[in-house]
Amino acid sequence: MTDSSLNISIKDVTKTYGDFYALKDVSLEVTSGEFLTLLGPSGSGKTTLLMVLAGFTNPDYGSVKFGGEEVVLKPPHLRGIGMVFQNYALFPHMSVAENVAYPQKLRGVSKEETRKSVEKALATVKLQGLGHRRVDELSGGQKQRVALARAIVFQPKILLMDEPLSALDKKLREEMQIELRQLHDSLNMTTVYVTHDQKEALTMSDRIAVINDGQLMQLGSPNEIYQRPKNAFIADFIGESSLLPAKVKGGFATIGSKKLKIAQELKKDGDFMLVVRPEKLFIANKKSRDANYFEGLVEDSIFQGESQLMVVKLNLENYGEVSLRLRLPNGSTNVGELPRVNEKIILGLKIADSYFLEAANGRD
Amino acid sequence: MVGIEQNFNQAELAQLARREHYTFFGLTLPYLVLVGAMIIVPIGWLFLLSFIGRDGSFSFENYERMINSKAYIRIFLTTFKISILTTLFCALLGYPLAYFMSQIPRKWANICMIGVLIPFWTSLLVRTYAWLVLLQKKGLVNTVAVDLGLLSEPIKFVHNTSGTLIGMVHIMLPFLILPLYANMRAIDPHCVKAASSLGATPVRAFWTVFFPLSMPGLIAGLLIVFVLCLGFYVTPAVLGGGKVIMAAMKISSNIELYFSWGAASALGVVLLVVTMLILFIASKLVSLDQFGQRS
Amino acid sequence: MKSFITLKKVGVAAVSLGFASFSTASFADDTLRIVSWGGAYQKGQSVGIFQPAAEAMGITVKEDTYGGISDVKLMVKSGADKFDIFSSGAGGCASGGAEGILEKLDYSVIDVSNHLPGMYSDYCAGADIFSVVAAWNTETYGDNGPRSWADFFDVEKFPGTRAMRAKVDSQLEAALLADGVAKEDIYKVLDSEEGIDRALDKIRSIKPHIAVWWTSGAQHAQLMKDGEVDMTTGWNGRFDVAKLDGAKVAYDWKTGIMDWEGYGIPKGVKNKDLAMKYIAEMMKPEYMAEFAKYITYGPTNKLVYELNLMEEARARQMPSHPENAKHQMTLRTDWYAKWRTIAAEKYTEMMTE
Repeated sequence: MTDSSLNISIKDVTKTYGDFYALKDVSLEVTSGEFLTLLGPSGSGKTTLLMVLAGFTNPDYGSVKFGGEEVVLKPPHLRGIGMVFQNYALFPHMSVAENVAYPQKLRGVSKEETRKSVEKALATVKLQGLGHRRVDELSGGQKQRVALARAIVFQPKILLMDEPLSALDKKLREEMQIELRQLHDSLNMTTVYVTHDQKEALTMSDRIAVINDGQLMQLGSPNEIYQRPKNAFIADFIGESSLLPAKVKGGFATIGSKKLKIAQELKKDGDFMLVVRPEKLFIANKKSRDANYFEGLVEDSIFQGESQLMVVKLNLENYGEVSLRLRLPNGSTNVGELPRVNEKIILGLKIADSYFLEAANGRD
Repeated sequence: MVGIEQNFNQAELAQLARREHYTFFGLTLPYLVLVGAMIIVPIGWLFLLSFIGRDGSFSFENYERMINSKAYIRIFLTTFKISILTTLFCALLGYPLAYFMSQIPRKWANICMIGVLIPFWTSLLVRTYAWLVLLQKKGLVNTVAVDLGLLSEPIKFVHNTSGTLIGMVHIMLPFLILPLYANMRAIDPHCVKAASSLGATPVRAFWTVFFPLSMPGLIAGLLIVFVLCLGFYVTPAVLGGGKVIMAAMKISSNIELYFSWGAASALGVVLLVVTMLILFIASKLVSLDQFGQRS
Repeated sequence: MKSFITLKKVGVAAVSLGFASFSTASFADDTLRIVSWGGAYQKGQSVGIFQPAAEAMGITVKEDTYGGISDVKLMVKSGADKFDIFSSGAGGCASGGAEGILEKLDYSVIDVSNHLPGMYSDYCAGADIFSVVAAWNTETYGDNGPRSWADFFDVEKFPGTRAMRAKVDSQLEAALLADGVAKEDIYKVLDSEEGIDRALDKIRSIKPHIAVWWTSGAQHAQLMKDGEVDMTTGWNGRFDVAKLDGAKVAYDWKTGIMDWEGYGIPKGVKNKDLAMKYIAEMMKPEYMAEFAKYITYGPTNKLVYELNLMEEARARQMPSHPENAKHQMTLRTDWYAKWRTIAAEKYTEMMTE
């Protein structure tokens, strides 16, 4: 099955609408068989990039290659891709089986073979026996599965998905994320997946390409993107984080008047930010050497089911007040023992978890 | 004692549900009364009148007349021929236009729509005479074409079937475009994209996806145009030059000729019955439900 | 004066709508409502007769157009109150009288002692005389147009397009005259289905040359004015008006089929007595002379000629002038009362062939 996929090479793709850059010099390599997610807020250009891959949008310039072959001038129907649309885009005048058979029919596949491949595709998406149903008799999740079956029935080498799960409710969405990932692993098609849901991206992808303002901001594994966001935008967009202003001089960092121990190699001097993930903070009873500590007042404490969220107000000298969010997994502490609102609290952050960003890479 | 069938507020809730039903029924009541008063009663009355002879007694003379004179069958044939041709030309002209409008941005489509609707705001009579002025033997079109040497002699555009068709197609076109355009706008553009991503050429995607999905609008438009054409009077009277006699014209002239509603209403009854028959057969041939979109 | 398309043209539905709009108005005792055919004809009536006569009597007369005797019938049968007097051809009045929808005119009030013979009836007080003639386009034929019905039906001698009426009235007479039947024998021949068929066959023989079947006087005048056809049947007055308007049109009295128009009263109108007095006023020769200035439809009251109320040159243009009348045949309304429906259905059949 390894030869059933193609790599995608995107180079300098730019698309403007008037003065507005929908895509600006985007270059990106998707390796064969990879599950790559284009992640970004709405209007970031991620869908435009997917449409360029599918052939529905022509870039102003730039190159798109599938397995080494230039396709940027090819119309969509000659690109041989499977595509799943956000709103399913099922054909309402055809039954489920007719929908799935459609690409096979276009390819002149024999009746018998079509029937077999449709059955197989429906089985793959766990819809065996529903071929005779009308499309409007299906639930949202079933429709999504039909759309998927239709996109994979002709065994395309590339599968494009445009926010396919956004219309589903949360529980179903999370189930489908895992299923889609498993499906990808079994079919081994090169998959480009668009979403604005960072959690979805983290869950499913081999690699994530964060797109904003038409530009590729960061490309990396979910772990890299999460642990080492390149700038404040990504730090804020991926997961929860609090940013504390820091000054760096000669490899040392200070926040307010407080010196911080750091493990990161900071070559430049100037304004930085400390990225604090809520789950990395802990309540410190005893201070140890391998962590930095912050003292503050509990502003809010909220029970959220799987975790307890606390908002802690710090008063930084020479700077003012900032808030830190702290998330404690349910069961890790006895809630009754936690400091209450307006009580003093000391928070610890391991040196290894103290990650600094250059402030100039901020969102402005 | 409170039994299981009679929980403490079950009766009140049931009454509430009933009241809701009545309210909904009440909302449809004005329409039902209107349909009854404006459609069912007059049609029934028309039907009864058609069996009343000139001397005021029950008689089949109004129907016998239609069987005995060849003029009537010819008039009905003309009526259906003109209506079908008008409907056909409207579809041929209107479908591409509606399709074009459905594919351009809404802003531009709205401007096109104004263009489609402007003729609606002018009286039918004015539009019909305008065609006469344009197309008659010494009208604008013929004069210009002859002067420019495009024609050696004027073409007979009006006072015949072609003139009638030109006028009627022009008047009926908006009735086809409006439902068709609304339908086309509602078609998910992703469906056509999906088709081409799955390997369909633009032409193939149009015929296998867009066209079938536009059928409900097309059929609605065709029906409206066809049924409206059947009752046309002014345009064939003015542009047909007496060569195109349609049922409505004969209905009018029969009132004048026989001084009796019966002589006219019998024609109306036959027209109605034949039309319903045609629509019934058409609905058997093209199952409307097949194109039903509930999602 | 309102000049909209006759109700007939917008169909039966509009007729009933028309009733509705009319019946809402209430009229005082010194107000009469009169309806006529619109166009140049009613304009002449209005300026020459309706308004001066109303002024002389000190009453108000409101005018509108209507679609013919069938409108009167619909009004009377539905009990609507729409108008008090209508202007109608003799034939229309005759069939309306036979249907019992008209008031009998009181000739002790209306003075017809000076009317030309036969120019009034129980239900219709004659007001003007007109002729159906064969008119030709002088650009096509110069002075040598069809001066007889035989010429009109002779497509070899007079090639060109023709128009005839979409209704049977006076067309069969023309066809038989063309077929060689003498004026005085026309209604004898037509008094059988065979005779009617003979006339229809004559029309069939030139049917490919009939470009238009006209439905109104305004239409046949326009057809000549626009040069849409080379010759047409039609009413002499309309052609004269069109000629003044620049139309290249001429006709010969030898083709004339004389008919007359008058006033009738629908059965059951409230202002019947006043309507009767008003009709009596309108019969006076001075009004007829004034009307004839606007359109060449001659007076029924011979006092107009006897008292020299019209200039000689104008009088010579009237269908009823003795010099013109002597060439013409007169249409007989009793034939229409007997044969109209049969002839009309056969005529339609011929048209739709």
